[in-house]
Amino acid sequence: MSVDVANDMSIFSLVAGASLPVQLVMIILLLTSLFSWWYIFIKVATVKRAETNAEDFEKAFWTGGDLNKLYEGLSVGRRKPQGMASIFEAGFKEYARHKQQGRTEVSDIMEGTRRAMRAAYNREMDDLDAHLPFLASVGSVSPYIGLFGTVWGIMNSFRGLSNVAQATLSQVAPGIAEALIATAIGLFAAIPAVIAYNRFASSVDRLSVRYESFMEEFTNILQRKS
Amino acid sequence: MLKSYEKEISWKAGAYAIAVHLALLGGLLISFNWKAAHPVLNVAEVELWESIPNTAPPPPPVIVPKIEPAPVVKDVPEPKPEAKVEEPKVDIALEKKKELEQKKLEEKAAKQEAEKLKKERLAAIQADTLKDEKRDSEKQLNDKKAKDELKKLQQELSAEGDQQALAAKASANAGVIDEYKRKIQDKIKGNVNNELCGDGKPVLKFKIDLLPSGELSGNPKLTKTSGLEACDDAVERAIMASQPLPLPEDVALKSQFRNLNLTFTPNN
Repeated sequence: MSVDVANDMSIFSLVAGASLPVQLVMIILLLTSLFSWWYIFIKVATVKRAETNAEDFEKAFWTGGDLNKLYEGLSVGRRKPQGMASIFEAGFKEYARHKQQGRTEVSDIMEGTRRAMRAAYNREMDDLDAHLPFLASVGSVSPYIGLFGTVWGIMNSFRGLSNVAQATLSQVAPGIAEALIATAIGLFAAIPAVIAYNRFASSVDRLSVRYESFMEEFTNILQRKS
Repeated sequence: MLKSYEKEISWKAGAYAIAVHLALLGGLLISFNWKAAHPVLNVAEVELWESIPNTAPPPPPVIVPKIEPAPVVKDVPEPKPEAKVEEPKVDIALEKKKELEQKKLEEKAAKQEAEKLKKERLAAIQADTLKDEKRDSEKQLNDKKAKDELKKLQQELSAEGDQQALAAKASANAGVIDEYKRKIQDKIKGNVNNELCGDGKPVLKFKIDLLPSGELSGNPKLTKTSGLEACDDAVERAIMASQPLPLPEDVALKSQFRNLNLTFTPNN
């Protein structure tokens, strides 16, 4: 007597054969994975652009041109300046206004300029930090969601085992395999999210340090001018 | 949700994200063998025999078709008129009468023969038809009968075989057993460290249980000590080191080596 059975264990049949809660978990995880990857790619592009912007602006700023000209060039531009340029713009605008109003108290002017720059800096940081909390939550929560789906699936497959007199591994194996897919998807969503979160967090930190030091240096320059 | 400056790259990012997922799915499909092929199970029934019986093929079961002969006789057409036509009616000379009579006798005999043949053929045909009708039930019956007979025969044979084998073993195998016992002892002796047994002539007895592979099952038991603990230990170590012990190829003989009492004289 020869038994030769080839079970169809393709990933599609495994997903299709899973119970409804497990399928829901899989769908949720797939969506979060898609979204997290989407944000990762968006974030890669924006962080990279912010870095190149900062580089370019620092170069333009420290070549020692006229600050007025630099400001004119920024405000004439079609697009709203970003990153370091927007901090510079906000600071210089505030400084120029104070000058126009004829204030002479240096500390007042500097206070106002600093506040304006601080506000612009906060806006910039908010932009840079966008989506990072989402990545953090995906990284920490999606393994648990996957685990939930797996536990549910395994529970189901073991409950099915109680109805048969002779329990064999082949009766639970497909159920466990399809349940484990949920964990696999959860990990697939979580691992890149955690890695990306850490990378972006450090990039944003370095950018913020750069912005802050620029603010200090620019304040010094303005103070010397006034 | 998205800042204005993020919108311009959102489509590209979305495409990348989908591409990553498709790549993972592709990787999964390629790298995993999703077909779970069960190994081919060969289930064979095995009968265990103490000794191999003389397996002469059992005589084919005698099939006794149950046919009632009554309908056969009824259905046979009367061949007599046919036969009568052949009888010569012309008066003939006396000299030829005898010859004729002889012929007649011969013809009669032939006729009877023919009739018999016909009858037999008919009977055979009828038997065939009857068999067709009864085939299923009869076949089963016959099969069962045959099986029973076979079993009986085999049992008888095996009983006979056992007795024969036992008788043969007792005489012919004794030499082989002794030879292998000697081989075992020699092999063990080669591994004994003689120096541990002193200068005297210690004699030890060990009881060992052997597996058919020649390996020990369980530890050897010391049944008679030499008086020197070191010597006893040395012999025991030698026994352990000599595995696998030489055993005859014959399966029947191997069973004789299941429990062995071995005597060692390490200094001889």
